[in-house]
Amino acid sequence: MRAGVDVGPTNTDAAHLADDGSVLATVKVASVPGDPAAGVRAALARLPRRELTHVAVGLRATAASVVRRQGLRKVGVLRIGGAPARAVRPLSGWPPDLREAVSAGYAIVDGGGGLDPEDWAPLDRDAVARFASGVAGRAQAVAVAGLFSPLDGDQEREAAEIVRAELGDLPIALSADLGSIGLLERENATVLDAALSGVAGALADGLAATLAELCPGAAVLVTRGDGTLMSLEHLARHPGLSLGSGPASVLRGAGVLAGLGDAVVADVGARRITVGALAGGFPEEAVGGAEIGGVPVGFRVPSLIRVPVPFDPADLAEAVDRLQPGPGRLPLVVVGGGAESVPQGLHPPHGKAAGAIGAAVSPVGGQYERIVRAPDRSALAQAMEAVAEEARAAAVRAGADPRHVRILEAADTRLAYLPGPFVKLRARAAGPPSRL
Amino acid sequence: MRIDTGLLPAFARGCAVLGSGGGGPVAIGRAAARQALEDHGPVEVVSPTELDPSLLVMPVGTAGSSAVMSERVGGTEEPVHLRDKIEELFGAPVGAVMASEIGGTNGCLAVAWAARLGLPLVDADGMSRAFPGMDQTVMQLRGVSPTPAVMCDERGRTVVIDHVTGRWLERFVRASLEAFGGQVATSEYVLRGHQVASCTALGSVTRAVRLGERLPEPIVTGKIAEAGGSVLVEGLGPDEGRLVRVEAGSEFLAVIEDGAPVAAVPDVIALLDTRTREVVQTEQVRYGLRVAVLTVPCDPVWHTPEGLRLAGPAAFGLTGLTALAAPGGLTGGSGTGGPGGPGGLGGPAGAAGAAGPLADRREVAP
Repeated sequence: MRAGVDVGPTNTDAAHLADDGSVLATVKVASVPGDPAAGVRAALARLPRRELTHVAVGLRATAASVVRRQGLRKVGVLRIGGAPARAVRPLSGWPPDLREAVSAGYAIVDGGGGLDPEDWAPLDRDAVARFASGVAGRAQAVAVAGLFSPLDGDQEREAAEIVRAELGDLPIALSADLGSIGLLERENATVLDAALSGVAGALADGLAATLAELCPGAAVLVTRGDGTLMSLEHLARHPGLSLGSGPASVLRGAGVLAGLGDAVVADVGARRITVGALAGGFPEEAVGGAEIGGVPVGFRVPSLIRVPVPFDPADLAEAVDRLQPGPGRLPLVVVGGGAESVPQGLHPPHGKAAGAIGAAVSPVGGQYERIVRAPDRSALAQAMEAVAEEARAAAVRAGADPRHVRILEAADTRLAYLPGPFVKLRARAAGPPSRL
Repeated sequence: MRIDTGLLPAFARGCAVLGSGGGGPVAIGRAAARQALEDHGPVEVVSPTELDPSLLVMPVGTAGSSAVMSERVGGTEEPVHLRDKIEELFGAPVGAVMASEIGGTNGCLAVAWAARLGLPLVDADGMSRAFPGMDQTVMQLRGVSPTPAVMCDERGRTVVIDHVTGRWLERFVRASLEAFGGQVATSEYVLRGHQVASCTALGSVTRAVRLGERLPEPIVTGKIAEAGGSVLVEGLGPDEGRLVRVEAGSEFLAVIEDGAPVAAVPDVIALLDTRTREVVQTEQVRYGLRVAVLTVPCDPVWHTPEGLRLAGPAAFGLTGLTALAAPGGLTGGSGTGGPGGPGGLGGPAGAAGAAGPLADRREVAP
């Protein structure tokens, strides 16, 4: 048995599911402003909890923290890249008030790499130490982003050790862990991870304490923007991954309730309808990544169109059509508290609790992306296996049971206009939560 | 005119439109230009008549892969290395910077690098848009030598190419690109001040600003009804009932309606997302997107026979479109009997044709 909880701004929904995924009960309680754990406690208190093996919680607290510029730590930003990475400064293009709230200074030090091992420049360790002493006393956390670090994260880890030796034990977020190509977006995401480390740590502690008391022995997970789950430890390390997780859970829940892996989903709320699409059971991702609080980040978040309520049916029809892969190809699933106001589409039972159900039925996920030189198909297959292994390892780090992790997606994209040939490989893996 | 951080967004938007669906990631070029303008102040835009006739005008740009640029955002010293080497090779000082290619990210980088060098930017460029080939320039048409040409990276690693034609320049840059890690700064077709008025596409910088401030009326506004291969745009609103086909390679190459071309390369074809007002690049096209399709004329030199040979429809493998490009030939190519089959237009399958296997932002294909 498992439970899913969706902590919304007004209400907290919870769902109790059997092991086969059938919904046994749902409840709705008022959320407690500023205290997500209290909402979780109130909702779960009204469900049978004795045989729960895991509880998955959907949160919006991290996104709210960025949007309101509240509870953010001051971050020292270290970019490893030297001359090839100086044209655009760290935190460039951020809304000034958010930059003000987050920035404790930055440095760009020599090091970083390229597509080939011989492109790598040695890390300027002295410059890293100077950066650390420069932000000492101001930085409450540090973000490290290295040029091409998704190909090799060693220099980021080496720099983190130097920073820790200078500044002691403070949160250090590394960009290589995010695994996506695109320096500025990955760096922004890493800075948000560092800035949110305080909020996320407190959140993880609060949830752990609440659930240890309410459901002792159950694994506790939180939702993330790609529609999978992660452990509380992972949340504390990578809070940015929870951004966009609310809509992602609703999309997945709607698909599971309607028995569809591919669908367009409309979540009808009191103030707006959020429309997204599912492909293979997971949310379609926004092209070019997401913007959080006005900052472009590399996180994978659902591609969404929002239609204000009360709505014009033509606007809703256009939003649904925009998210179709082809004309009228996918069924529409309508969920959420206001689902009755949209007559068309499928209205599955328990649609009001789609977010909580989506959390309960989702696996723990991990992903990995890298660029490799693959002169022929056999080299490609070997490289893909290595990338799939990294994705599996990422899922296990996020809290998946290593015995049951499987690859959801393995894709290769040839990089245009480069000899080599160079191929971008990407794998996603997922498995049930580990109970260890 | 001066380009400062206030005028930059309009200029960058104009560059994006002139990318014709290609030209690389404008967001990075724009961010680099913003930082350079913040650090060094506004860039003076000068007309060719204001140039000292004997000083050098240095065309600048980058060649490479967009995927690499998204990671390796570039440095601050490339223009310094380029200038020093050009001055050494030509034995004369560089008096102004020019964009090799106004369309796409390279237009913005020319602003960034002029700011970093403290030099004026000439109101001209080599292409009047983005083209995939380094030799698809007005300078090539006017017989300016492409060499000595200089390639360098952010650390100043430099290659000088000399005694080659435009086609061979392309070949050498392609061969060096991998050694440079997939991205390189270049200067070729270096000019003297007195040559600019007759050997370049004039007014490019002011035109990009004007375009960014006010876009032309669209050919059609609608939704993308098919995105695989050629792009179908189904008219919506006032354009309800219309259906146009946009041929795309690494740029948008032609717009066809009722079997007849209404716009074609070398003229610029741009798609604009009607919701975000952002320029849509060829790889961002997908079903359901609401777009406005618009066209902007290229420099008239591209409609001369030599211009069309270098950068006309046939150079991009569009065999049925020569009629459109010829002056007054707009009505040709319709019907079913044309050489390219229905619509009289061959697909871009042979895009690796006459002008070489070329790609956007002068991205050099293997």
